[in-house]
Amino acid sequence: METGTLNKLSLFVEDLNETALAPNALKDAAHEFLAGQDFPTTRSERFKYTRLAKLANAAFSAAQSVNEVQIAQSKILIDAYTIVINHDNIQIPKNLPSGIEVSLIAETQIPFNEAAFYDIFGALNILHASLGISIHIRQNITLDKPLQILQINSGGKTFYRHHFSFEKNSEVAVYFISKNTEGHSSFAHTHFQYNIAKDARVKIFKIQDTNVGHFDFNEDRAKQAERSHFEINTITLCGSFVRNDAQVIIQGEHAQTYLNGAYWLKEEQHVANYTTIDHRVANCESFETYKGVATDKATAVFNGKVFVRKDAQKTNAYQSNANVLLSENASINSKPELEIYADDVKCSHGSTTGQLDENALFYLRARGLSEAAAKNLLLQAFMEDVLAYVKNEEVLAYVHKRIAARFNWNY
Amino acid sequence: MIKIENLHASINGKEILKGLNLTVNAGEVHAIMGPNGAGKSTLASVLAGREDYEITAGNVSFLDKDLLELSTEDRAREGLFLAFQYPVEIPGVSNVNFLRTALNEKRAYHGQDPISAKDFMALVREKSALVEIDPKLASRSVNEGFSGGEKKRNEIFQMAMLNPKLAVLDETDSGLDIDALRIVSQGVNALKSPENASIVITHYQRLLDYIIPDMVHVLYDGRIVKSGPKELALELEERGYDWIKESL
Repeated sequence: METGTLNKLSLFVEDLNETALAPNALKDAAHEFLAGQDFPTTRSERFKYTRLAKLANAAFSAAQSVNEVQIAQSKILIDAYTIVINHDNIQIPKNLPSGIEVSLIAETQIPFNEAAFYDIFGALNILHASLGISIHIRQNITLDKPLQILQINSGGKTFYRHHFSFEKNSEVAVYFISKNTEGHSSFAHTHFQYNIAKDARVKIFKIQDTNVGHFDFNEDRAKQAERSHFEINTITLCGSFVRNDAQVIIQGEHAQTYLNGAYWLKEEQHVANYTTIDHRVANCESFETYKGVATDKATAVFNGKVFVRKDAQKTNAYQSNANVLLSENASINSKPELEIYADDVKCSHGSTTGQLDENALFYLRARGLSEAAAKNLLLQAFMEDVLAYVKNEEVLAYVHKRIAARFNWNY
Repeated sequence: MIKIENLHASINGKEILKGLNLTVNAGEVHAIMGPNGAGKSTLASVLAGREDYEITAGNVSFLDKDLLELSTEDRAREGLFLAFQYPVEIPGVSNVNFLRTALNEKRAYHGQDPISAKDFMALVREKSALVEIDPKLASRSVNEGFSGGEKKRNEIFQMAMLNPKLAVLDETDSGLDIDALRIVSQGVNALKSPENASIVITHYQRLLDYIIPDMVHVLYDGRIVKSGPKELALELEERGYDWIKESL
C-alpha cells in the first residue's frame, strides 16, 4: 500500500514475490483491483458466511519438500498417469502417450482468459502464481488411463495456476487430489482454467483431503464449446477451510455441464462451494447436485448461480443443494440463484437442510440396527446420488475408507 | 413370553394407556381389537420403544427381561418384531443391505458370527417365496414406491427373515385387498411355532378369518376391558363396540 498503516492483506502478501507468468496488462488490472483492499469481511456478499479472520491471522510454517514415500502414500489411483506438484517441484511422467502434452506453465506460452476478478484471491493469483502445469489433449484423443494430479501442500503460501486445453472430440478423466502434510500450516490458492473444444468429453474429479492447518482455495474457470460434455465433481473428504468457486461459461450449443459436490464436515471445518453456470447460447443442459453432511460446529456454504441469457432458449438447467445437519451447532447457508432472461427454458432449483428422518431411524432400529448403524445407512443413502458420478473403484474405495476413518461410518 | 402390567403411557401430556394388563404365552396368538383412539397403535409403539411416548407407570416383562429398560434395537435383538401400520419408505437403502445389517447385528448381540453371503441369499430366496414377494423387490430401496400391499408383504418378509420370538402386527390388514390379506396371513401362519407368539392388532374382524387367535381382547380407553375366545371377534363384528362401552 502506498499510504497508511499496513493492513492484514499487505502483511499477508508481504513475503510473496510477484511472478512473470501473467501478461502485464492483466497484472495491472490485478493491481488496480487490489488497490486499497483488505481481506473481505462478512459484509461482502461473497464472504458473507466465510470469516477470513482465521486466514488473516494465520502464521504459516516454512514450506518443505515431501519425500518419495509421502508421495507414494498420497496417490489414490494406481493405474493412472500421475503428475505430482509440491512446493517448488513438479514431476511429470515420462511415459505419456502421444496426444497429451504436459508442461510447466513457467515454460509455456499459455493463453490467459480475460480477467474477471470475483475476489481478491483471483487477483492475487495473477500476481503471485509461481507453480502450475499446462495440459493439452489433442483432438480425437481418448486417454487410455485417467490422469491423476497430486497437489501436496507442505507449508507456506502458494498460488498455483493450471491450464487445461481439451481439443475437439478428446476424452479424458482427470483426478485432482489435494492433500497436505500433517504438522504444517499452509495456504494454497489454485486457479484452474479449462478450455473445452467442441465434442470434447471431460470429467474432472477433485478429491479434497487436507487436514487441519491448511487453507484450500480453488477457482475454476471453464469455457465450453458446442456438443461438449464437462463435469466437475468435487468430493471434500476433509479440510479445515475449503473454498471452491467454479464458473462455467457455455458458449456452444448442445453442450452439457455437470457440477456436483459432496462434503462431509465435522469439528470446526468450513467448506464453501460457489458455482456459476452461464448459459449464453441455446439448447444446452446443466445439472448441479451438491450434497453434504455436517456435524459438531462445522459450517458449509452453497451459493449456486445460474444465468440463462436472452439467446439461451431451450435451456434445461437443474440445480439442487441438500444437507443433513447432525448437530445443533453445525450450520449450512444455502443460496440458489437463477437469473433467467430467455422465455423458453426449463429451470429448476431446490435447497433442503434438515436432520435425518426420525421415522426412518426408528424403523431401522426397530429391526435391530444400532442407532449408529441406522444413521450410517441413511447417510450413505443420502450421499449416494452424488457419489454415483464417481465410477472409479479405487477412488470410491478411498472415499469410503476416509469417511469410515473420520466419522466411524462404515459404508 | 410377555407380561404387561398396569401400563400407563402418555404423549405430549395426554394419557393414552391407562393401566393396561396383558399376558401372552409362547405358542399363542392374541388379537387386540378396539375402536379408533382406544390406544391400539400406542401399545404397539410403546412395546417397540418409540421415544415420543412417556411411560408413567407399569411394567413389561419380555422373556424375563425388563422390556422398558431396553433400547429399541435391543428389544428387536431379543426377538421383538413390530410390523408397522405405516412402513417407512427409505430411498437409497436397499432392502437386502439393510436386512443383512439387521440380521448380523442381532447375531453379534447373541455372540454369533455374521451370516455368510451365500446363506443370506438362500434365506432371502426361501422367505421371499413364503410371502410371494418378488426377490427383485428385496433388492430395491426399502418400501420406496411400493404399493400398500407390497409394503405390508415386505413387513412380513422382514419378519420371516428375522424370525422373532414375539411379533406385534399393527393393523397389518389395513389397506390390503383380499389377495394380499391371504398372502400376509399365510406368512404369519407359516411362522407360527410353539416357541413364538403374536399380538395381532386390528380394527376389523376379517383378518381373524385368516389368522385364528387363541384370545381376543378389547382395548378401550387405554385398558383391556374384555377378553374372550375367538368368537368374541365375531360378536364385535356383529354388534360393534357400543355394547361394551355401555357395560363399563
